[in-house]
Formats: sequence, C-alpha cells, structure tokens
Amino acid sequence: MNKELMTWLDSLLQEVEGIEVRRKSSRRLRVDVDADALPALLELLRGRASYVHLSAISCVDWPDAGEFELVYHVWSYEMQSLVSAHTRIPRDPGVYISVYDIYTPAAFFERDIHEMFGVFFEGSPDMSKFILTEWDGPPPMRKEFDSEAWVNEHFDWQDYRPEWLQELEAEGGGVAVPPDEQRFSRRNIDDEA
Amino acid sequence: MESQVNLVDLVLMPLIAFIVGMLMVLLMRKIAARLQRRIGPPFFQPLYDIVKLHGKQTQISHGLIHEIGIVMAIGGYVAAVTLLPVPGMNGIAEKGGLIALAYMLMIPSLGLALGVGQCANPNGSIGISRALTAMLAYDIPFIIVVFGVAFMFGSTNLVQIIAEQQAGGIATWGIVQSPLLAIAGLFGLQAMLGKQPFEIYIAPAEIATGPMVEMGGKFLGGLFVMQCFQLYAASVLYTSLFLGGGENWITFLLKTLFVVEIPMVIAFLFPRYRTEDVVRLVWKWPTLIALLGLAFLMH
Amino acid sequence: MSSIDNIPVKQGRTKVRQRKRTNPLAGVFDEFMDFCQARSLFMLHYCTGCGAIELPPAMTSRFDMERLGIQPMVTPRQADILLVTGYVAVKTLKRVILTYEQMPSPKYVIGICSCTVNGGMYWQSYATAKKLNDYLPVDMYIAGCMPRPEAVIAGLRDLRRNIERGEANSWEDYFRNYDYYLGHQQRLFGENWQTPTNIISEAEHYGLLGEGTRGEHTALLDKHQEPLEAQEMKLEIPELKRR
Repeated sequence: MNKELMTWLDSLLQEVEGIEVRRKSSRRLRVDVDADALPALLELLRGRASYVHLSAISCVDWPDAGEFELVYHVWSYEMQSLVSAHTRIPRDPGVYISVYDIYTPAAFFERDIHEMFGVFFEGSPDMSKFILTEWDGPPPMRKEFDSEAWVNEHFDWQDYRPEWLQELEAEGGGVAVPPDEQRFSRRNIDDEA
Repeated sequence: MESQVNLVDLVLMPLIAFIVGMLMVLLMRKIAARLQRRIGPPFFQPLYDIVKLHGKQTQISHGLIHEIGIVMAIGGYVAAVTLLPVPGMNGIAEKGGLIALAYMLMIPSLGLALGVGQCANPNGSIGISRALTAMLAYDIPFIIVVFGVAFMFGSTNLVQIIAEQQAGGIATWGIVQSPLLAIAGLFGLQAMLGKQPFEIYIAPAEIATGPMVEMGGKFLGGLFVMQCFQLYAASVLYTSLFLGGGENWITFLLKTLFVVEIPMVIAFLFPRYRTEDVVRLVWKWPTLIALLGLAFLMH
Repeated sequence: MSSIDNIPVKQGRTKVRQRKRTNPLAGVFDEFMDFCQARSLFMLHYCTGCGAIELPPAMTSRFDMERLGIQPMVTPRQADILLVTGYVAVKTLKRVILTYEQMPSPKYVIGICSCTVNGGMYWQSYATAKKLNDYLPVDMYIAGCMPRPEAVIAGLRDLRRNIERGEANSWEDYFRNYDYYLGHQQRLFGENWQTPTNIISEAEHYGLLGEGTRGEHTALLDKHQEPLEAQEMKLEIPELKRR
C-alpha cells in the first residue's frame, strides 16, 4: 500500500508547476517550490494527499543570497511520512503570506519566526511577541546579529578571586580535570586556530 | 464540690497545650518522614520554626483585620483548651461544657476567614471558601457524635463525663459503650484536623496553601502556634469523650498521642478529595454511622 | 592539580566561631534568633532553570533535607530562601526580582548552578543574565552543572554556618545599596522598570537607609513611576459568551 500511495503522491506533486521533488528516505520527501506556488501546494497536500498535520515551520537565513528559506514540515498519519516544503523569499521586505487558513497551528510558528527573524506574515491572526517580550534589539536569529558582542556590551562578567582554587583545596575539595586538559576547552580551540 | 476557678489554671493550661501541641507537630513530621523512609526533623524543630517566624524583621501586613483574624484564630483555640480538663486542672470546664466548646472550636476558621478576606489574594479566598465548606461538612457528624456522647453520659459537663469513665473502668469508656460513635468521631477528627484526604483547603500545589498564601512572618508563626493548639484540642476532646480522659499525666499523654497519630498515619497515604466530594462523603458515611450509633443509644 | 583520588572526604562538623564579646549577655537574643533561623529555613519552591531537577532528590528519602530543618514552602511570603537554580532568562529575572521583593527579611538568595555565577553554558546568549549578584544580593553560590544533591546540601550547610555566625546579611545590602541594583536592573529592563514594592520607603521605615539607597537610578525611577493599580479579574471565555 505504501508503494501505491508513494507513486500517487509523486504524480500528484507533478501537478504543481515549477516543483522539484527529492526523496530523502522512505519517510522523508523534500519538495522545493517557488514562493507563489507554496500555498497551493500545501492546500493540495492537506486536501488531497492526507497531510493534515503541520509539524513545524522553520526558517533558514541565507545572508549571501539575500534570502530567507521557509520550510513547512507536514506529516501524514495515513502514509506515515513527512513532506518538507522549501521555498525562498527575498530578505529585503521579508514578507510572506500566512498559511493560517490552511493549517491553524501555523499562527504559532509564524509568530515565532516573526520574533526571531523578522519575517512578517500577512494574514496571520496575531503577530505580537510572546517569547522575547522584553527584547528590543534586532531579530536575534539573523546571521548578522552577533550575540557575543551584544552580550559583552550589555552584561558584566563575574570577578573571580584568583585564589579560588586554593580556597577550595584548603577545604578538602579540588578540581578533578583541570580546565587546560579538558577536551572542549576554548583555550585549545583558540590556540589551534 | 468547689467550683472556684483557679486563675493559675487558666495560664498553665494553654501553656501545657502549647508544649504538648509542639510535641504532636513533631510527631506528625516524624511519622511523615518515617513513612517516606526518611529521618525527619530534629526534636526541637517546631520550636525553631515558631521562633524564627516570629523573629522576622520586615513584615507585610494587609491591615488591622488581617491581624485580628490571626488573633481570633489562636484565641479561639486558647479559649477551647481552657474548657478541656487535664489531670489535675479543670479550668472553666465545669462552667462551660460541651456546648461552649463546640462554639469555641468554630471561631478559628471564621477568624481566619476574616483575615484572609483582608488579604485580597484570590488563592486565599478560594482556599478559605473551601475550608468553610469543609467545616460545614464535618460539623454535622461532629455535633451528632459530641451530643450523642453527652446523651450517653447524661450531661454536657466534661469533668463529669471523665469522672464517670474513670470510676467505671474500661467497660464504661465511650469507645466501648458506643463504638459506632467512636468511628464517626474518628472521621470527624480527620476532617477537623484538615488531614488528607480532606486537605483540600490547604492544597499546597494547587492554590499555594490557600488561606496561608499571604501569611508570612508573625502571621505564619501565629498559624503554626494555632496548629499546635488545634492538634491538642481535637485529640484531648476525643480522649475525654471516648477514652476516659487521663488518670495521671502519663496515661493522658499516651492516650492523646495515640489518638492524634491515627489521622496522621492515614493522612500521608492518601491524595485529596475535591470539596464537593468531601461534603458528599462526610455527609454520607460518618453521619450515617453516627446516627446509627445514636439510634442504638436511644433504645 | 588534584586528581579525583586525592580529594579527601570532609568529616566532622564545621565549628562555629564564637563571636567575641565583652559583655556575655550582649547580643544573646540576636544569637538565639540567628540560631533558630539557621535551623529552620523555608525554601521557596520557585526553581528557575534546569538546576531545579536536583532539588527533589535533595528533599526526598535519599538526601533528606528536612533533617536540617529545611522544608519547601510555596509562596514568597512564607519563604526565607530564594533558590535561583539554573540559567535566568531576562523574562524570568523580572519575576525573580518581583518575588524577592515580596519575601520578608531576613532572606537569602542562593545561586545554584554555574549559569548564575558567570553565565555558565549560556554565556553567549542574549537572553540570559550572566551575573546574578548584579541584580540581587546573593549569599551563596553553588557551582556545578548541575551540582549533585550532596553539593546542594553542602552549600546549604555553609549558608547555615554563615547565618549562625551572623554573616549572612546581604538582605540589608539590598536596602542600603538599592541604587546599584536598580541601575543594573534598568540597564537590562529599560528605564521604565518599576516594581510594586517601594524599597526606599521600606528602607526608611526599617532604618536601613544607606548612602547607596538613593542615586541617579532612583531619580530616574521617581520620574517614571506610575501608581500601580490592581488588575481587574475578568474571565473571558468566548464559548460561554456565545451561548
């Protein structure tokens, strides 16, 4: 039955123009479409191909190409497989249409992406902040946002007393693996770089 | 018989109640700990808690009624313990009797309701409304039991009830003469002490300890003191009515500690009922058993 | 550097240094209160981040905390210790400060896990606070990721020793140096940050005004402070309304 459904799905997907289908594994299908054709594709997947569950919407920032890549992960209970629909939108206006009327949970993911990347979704019921309510800087997930520089500017670091280890050892404690010998010590990475 | 009230009694009885009550609070925590395979707090822990709470240096008070509520809560119990005779001291038990005692035991909840109302915290209001509903529930079997025993002994004078039981030996104890009333009384004791499964009015994880949500510092200290008195008053009342009071201090302490540990042992094994389930349960089973016991008595 | 075989296991109780005093009766009451405070600590069950997972083992049968007198309490009004376990997001930090100001003194803040010390694992994150004692006065840090229950209990015993000696008075520091803490809070939350508790008038009332209570940041607070009104409690359930 799986084979039948897979071939039927493949033939269905050919109906959408400008589509590129890549099968990643038996349960994973990757689909690339133009930005204009994506809502129609999702409507097709939900209505005619039983992909009724929207698992997530993710966003990838491609600063060199000047684009955002939006990925819509939809799952089908009948076919037990995931279709990831990829599309690219230009970074500059960063506006896209919302799929809220196709999948209701999309409102939640779109709100999240709006907060983190700054992409505006027209037609989404609520675009207000809910995670970073106290944040007033740039959208933090964009690649140009330097988190470390921002942190160094806005926060202070702790003053350690230099004899902290001697104090611990005097009380009977100590360090089992010294920081220089730890595998993922930053000092080692910087020395090698 | 000289019915002169010894004023020293009126000071000593609440003091004894406080000390024995602290012992009972320690017993409660130790039983909980041992049931959970832990060790539990050290011996003076209730004292440390109370002293620390009264020693808080900054305090938030919500107004005069907030403080009066706590005073009423403790005061009701202090008045109640002067009506409960202990070996050697009768206090005002002969002047009051069971009717005054039943009234005194209702004052703390009402006082707490006043104080909690002033706090204006929704958790507190929910908690205290549940507490008063539960009080409405358990008062029915409580009153039937108490007056059933009074009917059995023919008087509401606790001193006389205790004297009759001690004169006649074990055969005249309330628990032997009317075991049904004793069982209903145990139900009532569980609900009166607010122990699981009737602990809905505290419900720490749901409504943030209900009435105690805004009580900190000396208010909470007062409530801890009230808990000592509450355990003492409930168990001494039960002992006086059913187990013949105490001939001397050793038997008195043994009997009251035995009575107070029964609800504790049951409590830590149970979750809690909802308020309407509490009312339904307590108006059904203990009331029926108590009425049955009363019916047997009337014959 | 020490290896794990060389770390000795500490045995015996740490001795409490006697406070020197000329008059044997001076400060006896204070010592008694400190003695009782050390032996009866109510911790607030508000556990911020992932470090909270180490508290239930410390409270239950294996590493019983109740034998030290520590029991959990559910509201800040009843608690003495605020345990900041784990990373403190900026959102959480606001609520932690509000909670801290509602607790009656003397109160103690314990920063458990390395994230409260210097950022820990999330040191590069734009959304977590790095150094907790910029925003609240901290009595004790327990480093680890997360510290085992034995470490948590060892830290609490150290706090107990400090309380008995009379050295754990950082709650007074909040009143005496409020401007310093408010400055850091405003840097993080913006200039319009205000809490329902009026710290300056409380400090005046309890005689804990210090030189650092008022300053430039409290002047900013006075400019922006609005009287906070109680929120109206509404239950809006659209299904009920439709009916």
